[in-house]
Amino acid sequence: MDNLIEMRHVQFAYGQRRIYDNLNVSIPRGKVSVIMGPSGCGKSTLLNFIGGRVKPDVGEIIVDGIDVAKLNRQRLYKLRKSMGMMFQNSALLTDLSVFENVAFPIREHTELDEKLIRHLVLFKLQMVGLRGARDLKPAELSGGMARRVALARAIALDPMLVMYDEPFTGLDPISKGVIVKLIREIGDALGMTSLVVTHDVEEGLSIADQVFLLGDGEVVGQGTRAEMHASEFPYVKQFINGAPDGPVAYHYPAPDYRADLMNGEDS
Amino acid sequence: MKALQGLGGWTLDGVQRWGRATLFLSHALIGIPKIIGRFNLVVKQIYAVGVLTLVIIVVSGLFVGMVLGLQGYNTLVDFGAESSLGLVVALSLTRELGPVLTALLFAGRAGSALTAEIGLMKATEQLAAMEMMAVDPIDRVVAPRFLAGFLSMPLLAALFTTVGVWGGHLVGVGVLGVDSGQYWSAMQDGVDVYDDVLNGVVKSVVFGFVVTWIAVFEGYDATPTSEGVSRATTRTVVNASLAVLGLDFVLTSLMFD
Repeated sequence: MDNLIEMRHVQFAYGQRRIYDNLNVSIPRGKVSVIMGPSGCGKSTLLNFIGGRVKPDVGEIIVDGIDVAKLNRQRLYKLRKSMGMMFQNSALLTDLSVFENVAFPIREHTELDEKLIRHLVLFKLQMVGLRGARDLKPAELSGGMARRVALARAIALDPMLVMYDEPFTGLDPISKGVIVKLIREIGDALGMTSLVVTHDVEEGLSIADQVFLLGDGEVVGQGTRAEMHASEFPYVKQFINGAPDGPVAYHYPAPDYRADLMNGEDS
Repeated sequence: MKALQGLGGWTLDGVQRWGRATLFLSHALIGIPKIIGRFNLVVKQIYAVGVLTLVIIVVSGLFVGMVLGLQGYNTLVDFGAESSLGLVVALSLTRELGPVLTALLFAGRAGSALTAEIGLMKATEQLAAMEMMAVDPIDRVVAPRFLAGFLSMPLLAALFTTVGVWGGHLVGVGVLGVDSGQYWSAMQDGVDVYDDVLNGVVKSVVFGFVVTWIAVFEGYDATPTSEGVSRATTRTVVNASLAVLGLDFVLTSLMFD
């Protein structure tokens, strides 16, 4: 299978806190891949590796045959023009209208005339169903609408890769359904590689061609939606079923409860 | 031992901040030529940091000038030297009060706004989004604001001084009865374009550079939380004010020895 992204033997830590011990992930080109895992396991860090905003301590991040960590600023920015990213809180530019937000990357990176920019922006807004909201400011949008505008902006330059950082978090069921539909349809219609980072199991599995489950600093489960559902691996089962206890312990590591109470009495 | 460790940590933090601020400044200065062709970005920021600061500058300038007129007259009249009131008001404003008070007001009004705006853009991932769109946030966000602040400050200081001189005239001539011709002629005779006016302009240019640098750096370097942005905004006002007062002493010693 042709892979757009290869992560090999990645190790990374934030200060003393280990995030990845030995991460190996291959993201297939033109598919929807979903990275899942509990909060704090480093899912968003993985997107930052791909975008070159964070470099791994050890290992390689290969995007379209290029080692991102070794790029200088100029070449990194060139590579980023072929990526789009939808942030968890949308990250729309608050002083610009919806139209201008979507037009922003086009204006920054092309010399297209105003008429063509208008056509491109309206086309992207039509795809996400917000052509009629073009004159609104980000503060006037609901959470779901803001995500859709962010999605339109992420695909404004027709990138080869679109990354979604927690696209379903904090949305009502209808808005979640809209985002699920858009990620799947836009990925298929434009032939883009989609990489979704989420801890929403139901939505994540519903759009995934390939699922990666992260835990303990590495990939602990991988496969198609059906394979993940059928997995007997305890970590995968716990995560997919949302069980409160299992390989991911319910209790934060602590000394023996009885001893802890007795110590309290002594003091 | 703990105090020594604390002092060491504090020193290291300080040196690191200086290093970051210097690198940031060089990056912003390199970014300025790139926005010359997109002057609409700078004009928008001149409106935000310059035009919107006009009211406080004009009102403050007027009252400072009026107070100078009143205080100056009360002192000078004892020596029969009230005809020098125009000179006293003008020298005080051009040499000191114009640049210094404008810089302090500029730090409080425009500097804090710059820090809060950039800090909030960081906290809401707008700067990160720009980076991911292959748009350098220092070139696109910081450089226009830096240039706008740098250009606006001397103009605001000039306006402050002008309105202050007029305020002194209003009180001295209009209320206290100093002769209008003497007010202006003493000023014309005693104020030197190079020694007084130009040195005041140099001060306001230096203050504009430093205050804007501190404001945009604090915003960009802010911890991306509401508390972090609040702290950064406070630091801008405190550090910029102290820098202005300290630099004023240094510049005054160099200019008027």
